[in-house]
Amino acid sequence: MTGTRHMIVEGTVLPIPRANIDTDQIIPAHYLTRIDADGMGEHLFEGMPDGADLLARHPGAAIIVTGENFGCGSSREHAAWALLGRGFRAVIAPSFARIFHENAYNNGVVPVILPQETVDALMSAQTIAIDVAGETLRADGAEPIAFALDPLRKQFVLGGGFLKYLHAKIPAVRAWEAAR
Amino acid sequence: MKRSLFDKIWDAHVVDELPGGNALVFMDLVVAHEITTPPGAIAIEKEFDDELYEPDRIVAMIDHVAPAKDAATALQAQTVRTWAKRQGIRFHDIGNNGICHVLVPERGYVTPGMSVCCGDSHTCTLGALGAFALGIGTTAQAGAMLAGCLILQRPKVMRIEITGELPADATAKDLTLSVIATIGFRGGTGYVLEYTGSAVRALNMEQRMTLCNMAIEAGATTGIIAADATTAAYLAATPAAPAGWTALQADDDAEYAATVTIDGSAIRPVVSWGTNPGENAPVDGAVPADAPAESLAYMDLRPGQALRSIAIDQAFIGSCTNSRIGDLRAAAAVLRGQQVSVPTIITPGSQAVRRQAEREGLHDIFQDAGALWTHSSCGPCLGMSMGVLAAGTRCVSSSNRNFPGRMGDGGRVHLAAPAVVAASAILGRIASPSEITSREVVLA
Ligand code: SF4
Repeated sequence: MTGTRHMIVEGTVLPIPRANIDTDQIIPAHYLTRIDADGMGEHLFEGMPDGADLLARHPGAAIIVTGENFGCGSSREHAAWALLGRGFRAVIAPSFARIFHENAYNNGVVPVILPQETVDALMSAQTIAIDVAGETLRADGAEPIAFALDPLRKQFVLGGGFLKYLHAKIPAVRAWEAAR
Repeated sequence: MKRSLFDKIWDAHVVDELPGGNALVFMDLVVAHEITTPPGAIAIEKEFDDELYEPDRIVAMIDHVAPAKDAATALQAQTVRTWAKRQGIRFHDIGNNGICHVLVPERGYVTPGMSVCCGDSHTCTLGALGAFALGIGTTAQAGAMLAGCLILQRPKVMRIEITGELPADATAKDLTLSVIATIGFRGGTGYVLEYTGSAVRALNMEQRMTLCNMAIEAGATTGIIAADATTAAYLAATPAAPAGWTALQADDDAEYAATVTIDGSAIRPVVSWGTNPGENAPVDGAVPADAPAESLAYMDLRPGQALRSIAIDQAFIGSCTNSRIGDLRAAAAVLRGQQVSVPTIITPGSQAVRRQAEREGLHDIFQDAGALWTHSSCGPCLGMSMGVLAAGTRCVSSSNRNFPGRMGDGGRVHLAAPAVVAASAILGRIASPSEITSREVVLA
């Protein structure tokens, strides 16, 4: 459940100019048969009608640029694991489905939210460099574009540690429950 | 401040405010199944010495692939089985199991005002009991098992009032599909849907679960319905028969971030024609003229095509949306004395539902009609086992997702209520239950 974390995510772009890419398309349920997070990357987008074609046309891409509501549907964290397993480190979209959004943070897939017009413009970018800590990105060396990460979850996307963070809260939770 | 029902439950569970508008929210119950739980349970074992916040606040079951279909799914089940035994967690093994969102309420594990989470998006089903219930990922579920809490942004609340009375032939499934069509496939994003109004009050608990089940299909965090006498009677009849809960209600003039009113008397039996649940239309209607080309290409349909002209290859009645006893009775009412003309799979939502159906003789009606009557499992709903679709084939299904590939790579899914699925199974095309009833009259 811990991908390699990056302060700077740089790579070529895989554009998917559609909204509502659901997690069944990202990783079909029949691959959800493992007790660990491994082995998902090779099946990325197998549920997407043109998934294999898209991946073949953008070999080595590390950043997905796509439409609204990316990651909707099933809660499967396997979607984030499949993206990581295939070398994707960031997704840029106008919005994310709630569960995928959290899964992305917890696994080091940087979820970048930008307005639709900006995302549309980024669809034709070749290379994007994302300064995760600084919350800016540059497409093909152009002027930096600012975006905002969740100030709490940013630490998880950069360094992992979600469970450690919660573990440290246990005394406070127990005290709250005792006083409930 | 005047508060919504959801606001009251939220406020009663916030342990601490965290940076960035996040909150540490206490979870009264964590539901754990064999597909999404193992990596989290293993991480806790390795990194935190197998520590759980409170094993009594967890209930586990085998549901998605029950029983295991191969060595890999057997290992998933065995991992949950040994973990639950080791930790003293309530566990429902095959034979005594059910789909989590069917089993958990029918056993009486959830009461109004509780907070519940599960590594499963349809956990919103449990909002029918007046609880705050939401789906989460594996890591978040592990956090809730380890520390008793989730980290959440407070959702907004959308009040959805269903006025009037549903027509006799319209079901909770038609209502929930119509709500999604009204507010849009992602229209609920960032919201909790608080359902209210006379048509909601008139629903029984199973129907309320069907309504709340598909809140996630509008992108919502969850759905919720205030508890009332119907809820109390339902809970009193469960094996756990929980007592001591109080029914919270929204304040009379509570403020909502959004309000939607839908005329319940205008709800028609609907069926989906596209690749998300919001893409649906009345069974007696047609594919809309402005339907997205991409959806139609996948579904192999054209604008204006009459829905009742669409031939099907398979029918499925089951899933956490429509697999409870009332759903099976509705299907049996249509299938009684008829013959199915396509492979038809009927999968009860739990083993308890299965046994009740058999006490009522429904299994004979189904099997006399030529349908396959199975034990409980998620089965073909997610294209993992027990009836996966072949590419290019078309299934009418009482489940909740018609995404590309959902029930099998290249398979096409039309979502509908159990009675519509049953009628379609008989006629081999999308059909209205009234077509079967009128046929019976002609034959008589
Ligand atoms: S029945 Fe289908 S939607 Fe419901 S929990 Fe199982 S796989 Fe998910």
